[in-house]
Amino acid sequence: MIENTVMLLIAVPILFSLLFVALPKSLYKYLAWAFFIIGVALSVNLVLDGTGVVEIGEPNFAMFENIVLILEVLVILFIIAVSAKYKNWPTLALGIISAAIFAYTFTNAPHAEGASFNIDQFSQIMILIVNIVGTAIILFATGYMDEYEEHRHLNRQKTFYFTMSFFLAAMNGLVMADTLGWLFLFWELTTLCSFVLISYNMDEEGINNGFRALALNLVGGIAFSVGIILLATNDIATLSGIGVYAGTDAAAMAVVALPVALLCIGGFAKSAQMPFQSWLLGAMVAPTPVSALLHSSTMVNAGVFLVVKLVPAFAGSSLGTAIAVYGSFTFVMCSALALSQRNAKRVLAYSTIANLGLIIASAGIGTPLAVAAAIMLILFHAISKALLFLCTGEIEHTIGSRDIEDMSGLVKKAPLLTTLAALGMVSMLLPPFGVLLTKWVSMEAASSNPIVIVFLILGSALTTVYYAKWMGTILSSSMDKNAVHHKKPETYFPLSFLGLAIVATSILVFTIYDYFIRPQVEILLNTAPTVSGQAGQFTSEIGAFAYAAIFVALALAFVIYFATRNMFTPRTAGYYMCGENNMEMDKLMFRNGLCSYDKSSVSNIYLQNTFGESKLTTLGYAISIILIIIALAGGVLI
Amino acid sequence: MNMTDILIAALVIFVAPIIGCLYAGIDRKITARLQGRVGPPLLQPYYDVKKLLSKDNMVVNPSQNFYVVVYVAFLILSLLMLVFRADILMIIFVYTVSSIALIVGGMSTGSPYARVGSSREIMAILAYEPILILYALAIYLLTGTFKLSAVVDASTPLLVYTPLIFIAMIVVLNIKLKKSPFDYSTSHHAHQELVKGMLTEYSGPGMAGIEIGHFYEYVFLTGLIFVFWAVNPLIGLIISAAAFFFVTLIDNITARVYWQWMLKLSWSVLLILSIVNIAFLYFSEATIM
Repeated sequence: MIENTVMLLIAVPILFSLLFVALPKSLYKYLAWAFFIIGVALSVNLVLDGTGVVEIGEPNFAMFENIVLILEVLVILFIIAVSAKYKNWPTLALGIISAAIFAYTFTNAPHAEGASFNIDQFSQIMILIVNIVGTAIILFATGYMDEYEEHRHLNRQKTFYFTMSFFLAAMNGLVMADTLGWLFLFWELTTLCSFVLISYNMDEEGINNGFRALALNLVGGIAFSVGIILLATNDIATLSGIGVYAGTDAAAMAVVALPVALLCIGGFAKSAQMPFQSWLLGAMVAPTPVSALLHSSTMVNAGVFLVVKLVPAFAGSSLGTAIAVYGSFTFVMCSALALSQRNAKRVLAYSTIANLGLIIASAGIGTPLAVAAAIMLILFHAISKALLFLCTGEIEHTIGSRDIEDMSGLVKKAPLLTTLAALGMVSMLLPPFGVLLTKWVSMEAASSNPIVIVFLILGSALTTVYYAKWMGTILSSSMDKNAVHHKKPETYFPLSFLGLAIVATSILVFTIYDYFIRPQVEILLNTAPTVSGQAGQFTSEIGAFAYAAIFVALALAFVIYFATRNMFTPRTAGYYMCGENNMEMDKLMFRNGLCSYDKSSVSNIYLQNTFGESKLTTLGYAISIILIIIALAGGVLI
Repeated sequence: MNMTDILIAALVIFVAPIIGCLYAGIDRKITARLQGRVGPPLLQPYYDVKKLLSKDNMVVNPSQNFYVVVYVAFLILSLLMLVFRADILMIIFVYTVSSIALIVGGMSTGSPYARVGSSREIMAILAYEPILILYALAIYLLTGTFKLSAVVDASTPLLVYTPLIFIAMIVVLNIKLKKSPFDYSTSHHAHQELVKGMLTEYSGPGMAGIEIGHFYEYVFLTGLIFVFWAVNPLIGLIISAAAFFFVTLIDNITARVYWQWMLKLSWSVLLILSIVNIAFLYFSEATIM
C-alpha cells in the first residue's frame, strides 16, 4: 500500500529521532543498524509499490494542515529566537521577512481542500538515496562520533542523532510532497536541521558558519515563498501542476517564468551554487557525517531535485539557456577553485558544488538526453560523494589530518580505507563508472550550446587534475613504519557498502536508466530520450558507449596482473636517491653537502596564484550574480 | 561482434606494437642522425624490451606494476575503439584512464623524483585534455555525431574545416609523446632528465610493460591525427607519419621548458585557436557529410 509506505517514510525517521533521544548512548549502535535495515526495506518497498499520487483529503487533511501551519510558525519563531539570542541581525531580519511573507500567505491564500504526495520515478530514486545512503551515514557516525567528541570535549550526541534522523524525515517529505505549501515546510525544516548540525561544535566558528548557512538558505526560502505566492495567482498549488500548466507551450511558459525562476533561485541557494557557495564551505566545520549527509543524500540534493522537477517550465526557453550557462559556469569555477585547495574536505566541497552545477546545467539544456543525465548524475554523485566524505573522516581519525599532503603513504597505513577512497575518486572521473558516463551524456547533450560546452570541457579537465593529484598522493607508498589501524564494523560496513553500491550501480546503469530515468523524462518532457541499446551498451542519437567493454578491460587488467604477478617474483628495494641514500637512518633522507641529512619531501602543485580562492572568488560572485540577474530578466522579458 | 571483428581486433593487438616499435626505432635513428651519430639499429626498442623482460622484477611498492597493466590495457582498449570507429568522446575518456594509471603508478612508488614527474604530468592533463575534447566537439559539429564512422564516410576531409585544431593537436601530440620542449615528466632520450622522472622506480618487466604501452600509444596518437584525413587512408597515413616526424624534429631542436610555460601556451594560444575554430564551425554551420 503506497499510502502507508509514504506515511511510514516520514514517521519512521521521526520515531528513530525520538528513540535516539530516549535511549542511552550504549544502544545507538543497534539503533543505527535497525534504522539502516528499516530504511533500506522501506525505500525498496516504495519502489515496489510503484508510482502514483497519494491524496490527503478530509477529514485527515484539516489535522495535517494544522500540523503543517504550527510547524511553520515554530520554525520561524525558532529562527527569530536563536538569531536574537546570538545577536545575528541579518538572520533576524531575514527571519522577520519570512514571518511577514508567511502571515501574508496565511491570510491571503485560497482555502485548500486537500494535499497530495506525488510518487514518481524521480521521487523513488531520491527516497532510495536518502534512506539507504543517509542511514548508512548515520551508521558510520556511531563508529565515529565517540572519538570525535573525545577530542573536542563535547557531549551533544543526543542532539546530533535526533537532528540527523529528523533531517531524513524532512528530506523524505520534501521529495514526495507535491503540494507547494507542504513542500515549503519540509524545505525550511532541512534548512533548520542543517543549521543545528553545522553549529554542532558550539564554538564561535561553528555558530558563525551555522548562521551563514541559515541566512543564505533563508534568502533562497524567501525567493521560494514569493514564487509560491505568484504561482497561486495562476491557481497553481502543486509542483506537478507547474509542469502541467507550462507543458511545452511557450506562451504558458512565459506566464510562469518569473515564479519558476524564483523557485530555481531557492534551489540554487539550497544547492550552494555560486554566489551562495560559502555556506557549504563553512559547513565542513561540523563532524564528517554531517558533511557527508549534507553533500550527498540530503540538503544540496533538494535544490537540484527542485530544479530538475521544474524542467517542463523552462525546457527550450531563454530561461532554460540562462540556467544552463549559469550551472556550467559554477561547474568550471568551482572545479578551478578545487584545484587550488589542500584541505581534503574543501576539495570535496568545491567538487560537490561543481557537480551540482553540472546537474543544473544539464537541466537547463532541457533536452530529453540532458535531463536523463541530470537525474542519473544526482544518483551517482550521491553515492560517490558519501563514500568520499566518510573516507575523509576516517582518514582524519587515522592520520590526524585532512591536509592532502599529509595523506601520502596512506596506502601502507590503511590499505582497505585507501582502496575505498581511491575507488570513490576513480568513480568521480573515469569510465566505466556512473559519474563519468553521465558527464559524457551531458557533454554530448550540451554540444549544441557553445558557451555551455566550452565551460564543461574546461571544468572536466580541471576535475581530472584535482582528483588525480589526490588519488596519487594517497596511493603513494612511503618508507614510514606501518601504523596500527583499528577497523570498526560500524565504520567499515557503510564504507564497503557504498563502494559496492558504486560498482553495482555502474554495472546496472542501463537497467536503472530503463526502470527509473526513461519513464521520468517522459513525465517531464512528454518525450523519451532517443537512447537505445541493451545492457552493456548505451546508444544515443549522437554517440554510443559500450561500457561493458570498459568493465571487461578493467577486469582483464586485474586478471592479467594477478596471473603474471608470480611470473616475475617481485623483490622489494628502497627507492633511488642518486646514491645519496642514508642507510643508517630513515631511508627517506638525502645526504646533503654538509654531510648531514635532509628529508626529501615533494608536494603536489596547487596553482594557488592562478586558481586560489583570493583570485577567483570575487570574480565568481560577480559573474554568477550577473548570470542570475540575466536569468531573471530574460525569463520575464523575453 | 562477428568473426571479422575478432580478426581485426587480434590484428590490431599484435600489429600495433610492431608499428609502434618501428616508430620508436625510426625516432631514435633520426635523433641520432640529427646529432651526427650513427644511431642504434632500427629494432633497438624491441631488443630493449626483450632484455628488460629477462631482468629481475625490482619494485619499491609491491603493487606498482598493477598500474602498468591498467595503462597498457586501456591503451589497447582506446586503440581498438578508435579502429572500430567508436564514440570519439568516450575514446578520449578511456584514454584518460591509461594516462592517469601511469601517473598514479609513478606516484605510488613514493620516490621524490617520480612524484615530481607525476605532478608535472598531471599539469600536462590540464594542458591537453581540453584540446582533445574540443577536437571531439569539432567532429560532432561537422558530422552531427560523435561516432567516428561518420568521419570516415564523410565527403570532405575533417582537416579542411579544422586547420586551427590541427595545429593544436600537433602540440598535444608533442605533449603526449613527452617530447621536448614538453618532456619534463619523463623522457625517452636522456636530454635534461630529473633522473627518469615519473618512471624512476620502474625497471625490468614493469618498464618493459611501459615501453610496450608506449608502442601502442604511438599508434593511437598518430591514429588521432589520421582521423583528420580519414576519407582517404593513404593521405591520412602520410599526414600522421609527417606529424610524428615533425614532433621528432621539434624534440631535437628545442630545449625543455617550464611546465608553467606549457600551461600558458595551452590555455592561451592553443585553447583560443581551438575555440576560434569551433566558433567558426558553429556560425558557418559547415558540414562534411
